[in-house]
Amino acid sequence: MANQQATIAVAAPRPLISRHTREILANYAYLLPAAICLGGTVLFPILKAMHMSLYHHVLIRPQDYRFIGLGNYVRMVQDPTFWLTLKNSFIWVFWSVSLQFFFGFLMALLLNGQFKGRAIFRTINLLPWIIPGVVVALIWEYIYQPNYGPLNDLLRRVGWMREPVAWLSDPGLAMPAVVLTNIWRGIPFFAIMILAGLQAIPDEIYEAATVDGAGVIQRFWSVTLPMLRPIIVVATATRIIWTFNYADLIFVMTSGGPANATQITSTYTLLQAYSDLDFGYAATLSVILLVIMLVFTALYLKLTKGVESVAG
Amino acid sequence: MVIKDDAYYASRRQFLRTLAATGAIAAADLAWWEEPFLGPRRAHAAATTVRFQFSVPEPLRTSLVESLVERFNKSQKDIEVKVEFVPQAQARQKLITAVTAGNPPDCCQIWDNWLGEFDGMGAVEDLTGRAKEWKYYKDTLPIAWETVTFKGRILSFPWVVTNDAIYVRADRAKEYGIALPKDDWTWEDFLKTARAFTKADKNQYGFGMRGQGTWAVLYATEFMYGNGAQVLKDGKVAINSKEAVDGLDWYLDLFRKHKVTPPSVPTDGWRQIVEGFGRGVTNMYLHNSGSSEEQKKFVGAPSFVTVPIPLGPAKKRATFYFSETLTMFKASKNKDATWKFLTFLMDDDQHAHYAKTLGLLPARKSIADRPEFAKDPALAGFIKSFPFSIVSPYLAYAGWGGKLDSEGVPLFQQAMVGKLTAKECLDKFADVLTKNMM
Repeated sequence: MANQQATIAVAAPRPLISRHTREILANYAYLLPAAICLGGTVLFPILKAMHMSLYHHVLIRPQDYRFIGLGNYVRMVQDPTFWLTLKNSFIWVFWSVSLQFFFGFLMALLLNGQFKGRAIFRTINLLPWIIPGVVVALIWEYIYQPNYGPLNDLLRRVGWMREPVAWLSDPGLAMPAVVLTNIWRGIPFFAIMILAGLQAIPDEIYEAATVDGAGVIQRFWSVTLPMLRPIIVVATATRIIWTFNYADLIFVMTSGGPANATQITSTYTLLQAYSDLDFGYAATLSVILLVIMLVFTALYLKLTKGVESVAG
Repeated sequence: MVIKDDAYYASRRQFLRTLAATGAIAAADLAWWEEPFLGPRRAHAAATTVRFQFSVPEPLRTSLVESLVERFNKSQKDIEVKVEFVPQAQARQKLITAVTAGNPPDCCQIWDNWLGEFDGMGAVEDLTGRAKEWKYYKDTLPIAWETVTFKGRILSFPWVVTNDAIYVRADRAKEYGIALPKDDWTWEDFLKTARAFTKADKNQYGFGMRGQGTWAVLYATEFMYGNGAQVLKDGKVAINSKEAVDGLDWYLDLFRKHKVTPPSVPTDGWRQIVEGFGRGVTNMYLHNSGSSEEQKKFVGAPSFVTVPIPLGPAKKRATFYFSETLTMFKASKNKDATWKFLTFLMDDDQHAHYAKTLGLLPARKSIADRPEFAKDPALAGFIKSFPFSIVSPYLAYAGWGGKLDSEGVPLFQQAMVGKLTAKECLDKFADVLTKNMM
């Protein structure tokens, strides 16, 4: 009889961390580099701005640096210029984005058609978006120049104007003038986004709608618009946020003037930081801009039923 | 049999190349301010590097400063200056960021109205000791030292100085039969001349007023001084006095009532007023001597003159001195090398060349007395204005520096476009100044 020896199975020592936990930790470890990058570049500046907003932090008075709690926020509420800039910001964003969207949509519909030279036209359409914002501002500042700018010259030549109009120097005209420039610059963004959406709508849906007796307008309202909704929601939301924070154009064209007529909150923040060197107050304004944008985005996504619900 | 001696041919080519290269170097050196410069050449790796930030308001300055720095580097064995050019619009912001981050350059060129702020940040090196032992200390105009002296400390070199005067189109005056202003002209004469120069149908205006930037406030204040106003009186802010209000009213009426200025005034900065004159849109403007060289190119030297600012009803007038400074930062690790570079820039040739190229006035008396400055007709108005030039009263407090721009300019613009009266504007402005006397 074979000599059989029983092997006693020795239980492996129980690991300190269970396999399940190790897997979870490993997954988080993979995420760690991205989290560090995001935390360092996005989260840290936001937290730093919040921290700065609680301090009296004027660079030319380092001896006065101290914690003041909500002092900067109280000052902001009592600052009439802040409220003026906030009002200007809403005017600037509303007219810029709504008209960019309207004309961008029209442009997209036009570019979606079949016509000769469509490729060239599409490329030309992108030009205002490609040109850097500061250059756009300088070009339009020249166009609006009342004494030797081409706009006044043209209007005078066709007999529509007698006296030169100071487009950027008249408080009543300065905001419409900078908004018009921003509209010109932003149309291609909407046009290209919506055009991409239009081209993704399958022809079969239009054919089915036509078979069901839908006319052009019905097809637009019942097929095109609902199918474009996710793109429209994302494009308008991002554009609103960009425009709200976009200071370059106004800063170069008018520096917020004349008499604060074009001063929006983002240019006012810049002025506080780099003219008055009041980093505490500038940080407060930045935090408020962030809060406004967060609230707006949440409301906007809720009102437009978000993107996922439509896409799903 | 002829044997080609390759070595011989190569040697001859080499000789010719060397000759050509030597000629080119000599020519370059000769072209350098028309005199050769045969200083010691710098070693390959200089032991000390000095970072110099220079803000560029116009392209001409880039090549000018590059040539000065190159000349300095060639003269040194152990020091190399590396210049960092920054557009003027970003210069102050970049410096503030660098100071805050603890990494400013060793030295920089800035305007005196920024100096108080940087001093307030504790960033500027006190040069009092070094400056007083500097060989040209006494040769430098006392008023120039005054522009860079804060609380009894000399904080910078006043590189070049200037004050303000009125540029007038002499050729247009002749064409329209307008008498050129005399040195003792009055506000009445000024208005009369501005009216005569205004030809709206030809898109020409009498006066290029500035409405944008810090100097919009300073130019208005200079006119207010003509009416007997003062920014500070007995240590208190007095810019809302009756004299100041009446003076500002008169000044703003040039735009609001008399329409002798272009309609773009509320947003016209220095570039617009200089270009407006250069393009023939305006026939007079108030500015420092810094644009005189530009105007020589734009309208031609014989076509314009400069005259002092007109006398106000109080039979007074004032223009404000300011200086372009060379400033050393406290954080510099190479202070001796930096000092060497700064004093090099203040030496005769470099100092005269810089000032002449830019149309500014040298801070050193012996240079300013040279005929190229003292006898230049384009600078006549500025030199004649010396007796009533004062250091800008807005330099009194560091806290005023940024406020002029962030709160002063919008207030003056509101008065300009009729949203505020001159009295309301100056009352609010006086409040701003009073709150920031620090």
